[in-house]
Amino acid sequence: MSRIAYERAVKRQIIYRGKRLSGIGKALVYALLSILVVTQLYPLLWLLLYSLKTNEEILSGSFFSLPASPQWNNFTDAIQSGSYLKYLSNSVFVTTITMLSVLLLASLVSFAISRFRWRYGQAVMLVFLIGLMIPLQATLLPLMLIFKNMGILNTHLSIILPYIAFQMPISVFILSSFMKSIPHEIEESAIMDGASALGIFSNITIPVSLPPMMTVCILTFISIWNEYILAATFISSQGLKTLPFGVYTFVSQFNVNYGAIGAYLVLGALPVIMIYFLLADKITKGMVAGAVKG
Amino acid sequence: MNVLKVSKTTIALFVLPCLLLYICLVFVPIVVSAYSGLLDWNGIGESTFIGLENFKTLFFNDSVFWPSVRRTLLFAVFSMAEIPIALFVAILLNRFVKRPNFLVSSYFLPVILSVVIVGQLWKTIYNPASMGGMLNGLLIAVGLPEWTRSWLTDPSIAMYSLYFVALWQYLGYHTLIQFTGIQAIPADLYEAARIDGAEGLKADWHITFPMNIPIFKISIVLAFIGSLQAFDMVMVMTAGGPAHATDVISTHMYNMSFLSMKYGYGSAIAIFLVCICLIATVIINFIFNRLDRKYT
Repeated sequence: MSRIAYERAVKRQIIYRGKRLSGIGKALVYALLSILVVTQLYPLLWLLLYSLKTNEEILSGSFFSLPASPQWNNFTDAIQSGSYLKYLSNSVFVTTITMLSVLLLASLVSFAISRFRWRYGQAVMLVFLIGLMIPLQATLLPLMLIFKNMGILNTHLSIILPYIAFQMPISVFILSSFMKSIPHEIEESAIMDGASALGIFSNITIPVSLPPMMTVCILTFISIWNEYILAATFISSQGLKTLPFGVYTFVSQFNVNYGAIGAYLVLGALPVIMIYFLLADKITKGMVAGAVKG
Repeated sequence: MNVLKVSKTTIALFVLPCLLLYICLVFVPIVVSAYSGLLDWNGIGESTFIGLENFKTLFFNDSVFWPSVRRTLLFAVFSMAEIPIALFVAILLNRFVKRPNFLVSSYFLPVILSVVIVGQLWKTIYNPASMGGMLNGLLIAVGLPEWTRSWLTDPSIAMYSLYFVALWQYLGYHTLIQFTGIQAIPADLYEAARIDGAEGLKADWHITFPMNIPIFKISIVLAFIGSLQAFDMVMVMTAGGPAHATDVISTHMYNMSFLSMKYGYGSAIAIFLVCICLIATVIINFIFNRLDRKYT
């Protein structure tokens, strides 16, 4: 944030806040906000403790106790018998390919919609906007039949393709509304210099559009990384499963080793939580931008 | 006015790859669904065209369908009831907390977790105390053992346990959206209100509330459409059981198509779901357009 913007934000805060609270009011507000922290975060902390306990400790039922000695072997069990690394690398692969394809395809279309002089720009935009309202589940069955006939069911391609398609509307929406705001003077002078459409796209528009592309990346990452239903319907080979599906399989297979289940859930949550710690600000901003789609 | 005049080939090059992929994977399946909704078909063998027979069975002869619609709508109602709470929390955060970003980020953390993780986590929490479930353990510890339940297998309560998990997960999202909305309201308004004698919560009622209406729309669309499509959470936690007590529209569709192998019938439900989503979006937009006109 620039200095001026920062000072403006601070001034805004001071004006908005107005009177300070009295002691009791303050205590009430802080109590409420802290209770919310507990309800939102304690289940996750509880899971972490759970994952470090022995089965006996878990079954004895004292819900807030610490493990007597942390059972790290729960984690080694989970990693070894649950092919965690395999699922993790599958997820990384699928998410990366999806993200790159979404970025490329969505920015091409958005560029055409927002910068070309042609008749059907708005119509194309409308097609994408309608897609925002179509529930993914409604396409599960026909997609499965189509993929079966194409012979690509139970391959990574069969989940990557629909992932790309379903990320497209929101990405085109975000990118094209940003690209519309780029001043025309820049490309007018570029045209004078003899630049082609592709040249303007790759040398001017893309470098300027990095912030909304970051947003698209974040939205794609969160929804694809966490996606479960499509993966569970289209993938059946053990070696191709993505992480959420893998977690689900592990949990339903090892339903007596509680500690290892807890450990696996922690491991499943870990990558996305680590990324959240690094990029919390960007992620929350991106998710707000993504919500605006309605 | 756009300035780039380009050849048809260039346009095709930019638009077609994406548009074709998109249409083939989103619109073609919907059309296929709409057609197979008119068939009596198990997905493999011969299919017979039976017209609107599937819809007739769905509306008049399916004991699971209407309860699942009711649960889906109730889901939407609960999710929307959460929005005022989120607004209230957002106002408190904005008004009384010096560095609210830490709190907002902590509230938001559950949102980014996969539904599988959240679902399994809460399944573990809902477990009987003898299996180490936290909720029942907590109830026993505070001296309310008669309140303990089998939260996910008792048909009278299982659906509410599911609603609660969804509300828990998305509270942070709505809070964040409202929080960001409040920060975008120009400070001059509050300054002017103070001169007119409106401060504190009174200023919130007269300024924050009406100014945040477009933001409400975002939250409501998110909550409503999200609940209509509520699917993975239910699949992960109960898959519609016990005895259809937690079936929502989309799980009913899934069970019909993939477990009972009634592809035609499942497609009919899918089409019903698509229609409901479209209608809901139109209605919400209509209501908010009128509200917008009233307040601005």
